[in-house]
Amino acid sequence: MGSIKELLLEVLYSVIPITLVILLIQVLMKFPWADVAQFLLGSLFVGAGLFLFFLGTNIGVVPIGEMIGDYLPKTGKIGRVLLIGGLLGFAITVAEPDVQILATQVDQVSNGAVPKIILILAVAFGVAFFIALALFRLIKDIPIKYVLMGSYVTVFTLAFFTPSSFVPVALDSGGVTTGPIVVPFIVALGVGVASGFGGRRSSFGFVGLASVGPILAVMLLGVMFGR
Amino acid sequence: MILSFFNGFEIILEEVAIALSPIFIIVCLFQKFVFHLEREEFANIVKGYFLTFIGIALFLQGVYGAFIPIGQKIGAALGALSHNWILIPVGLLMGFVVILAEPTVRVLNEQVEKASGGYIPQKIMLYSISMGVALSVALAMVRILYGIPLVYILIPGYLLAFFLMQYTNETFIAVAFDSGGVATGPMTVSLIMAMAIGAAIGIEGRDPVQEGFGLIALVTVVPILTVLTLGFLYDRLYKDLEDDDEVLPSESGND
Repeated sequence: MGSIKELLLEVLYSVIPITLVILLIQVLMKFPWADVAQFLLGSLFVGAGLFLFFLGTNIGVVPIGEMIGDYLPKTGKIGRVLLIGGLLGFAITVAEPDVQILATQVDQVSNGAVPKIILILAVAFGVAFFIALALFRLIKDIPIKYVLMGSYVTVFTLAFFTPSSFVPVALDSGGVTTGPIVVPFIVALGVGVASGFGGRRSSFGFVGLASVGPILAVMLLGVMFGR
Repeated sequence: MILSFFNGFEIILEEVAIALSPIFIIVCLFQKFVFHLEREEFANIVKGYFLTFIGIALFLQGVYGAFIPIGQKIGAALGALSHNWILIPVGLLMGFVVILAEPTVRVLNEQVEKASGGYIPQKIMLYSISMGVALSVALAMVRILYGIPLVYILIPGYLLAFFLMQYTNETFIAVAFDSGGVATGPMTVSLIMAMAIGAAIGIEGRDPVQEGFGLIALVTVVPILTVLTLGFLYDRLYKDLEDDDEVLPSESGND
């Protein structure tokens, strides 16, 4: 039960300070009281939601990530490990609320030019591909330095061919992907796979690589559909 | 106004159910063909997914019903002021408040303390990342105010990262890039992003798609540079210590 209390404190810490700052701005700028009440109600929902969400992730999502991570190296076939890893990366990204929030705001601001579902799918494909790449790197023990440098050189090269309205959204989608459901899941997965390969190799770098995929995927989306 | 807060809750429930179903189906398939967990244990996992479902739905309701509209309103109101430079200190404050409370940052700080064998204490990490993130939110506001293209800031940032990588060990590089994502938690993505978009809407001549987005990308690069710099310094310091160690045995041999 100690962990539930800790979780509750964690959520309160992350919601209360920023809520107070916003309330202060609302009062100073003389926003209508209805707005202040709306924001307070929203904070209540956000706080309660995050608490249940983190609790559920600890019970249901993380253990499964660990179990699959333990199982994958035992299959022995690289192709199968990469395929299942990619599939899991896709499925967990679709579930990520941070991605949904970005996609919703992009849909709204672009007046529907980039529909929500298209952006979510592009981001999820990007993560899938780069989880497979991260697993490949881990299995083949390729230095992460080269993989990261290659990835980011590709990102900034592609940026020159991407319609400029897509570039900021693409770069944002990299950071957004690594949200509260994706990170614990792929870290658990990576730790399992890394320990399956003798334990000497580290699972560090999984999250970093996972966030490059969506950037490239959304830029490609822009190259294909952008104005 | 308040009643409109609840508009669309059934749509959110439906969307979250759809979003969670792929991973849930995979979990069920694994249970059937690979894991064969005890019924009770598997029921617990299912309970976890149910809590996740309810939690995300409530969270998104709060975000869509209040955080995004109010965040955009505040951003637009501040951007429309004649002293709209006020966005810069407000961004600084919000970035600082959000990052101090971010639980994943604490996990990262522990990792770095471990990776450096205790040479980089958690406090140093916390202060450098918090200051870095606060500055990058402020920088995002500067970018919106003056319409600076995102890549003008990001390309030099990543070039600096590449340079530091040449002198930093693998563990620090991996932790650094992992940490890029942790700074952008749910509060940044919902509230601060909405405020930035609102500001881009409120300031005349700004394109909300061009300048409103990009804040997350800026917040992502700062922890990368922070951890790489600390790793770079640590490697210098550690190598010095190693050199000392090589001297030490002969000295201690004299005792």
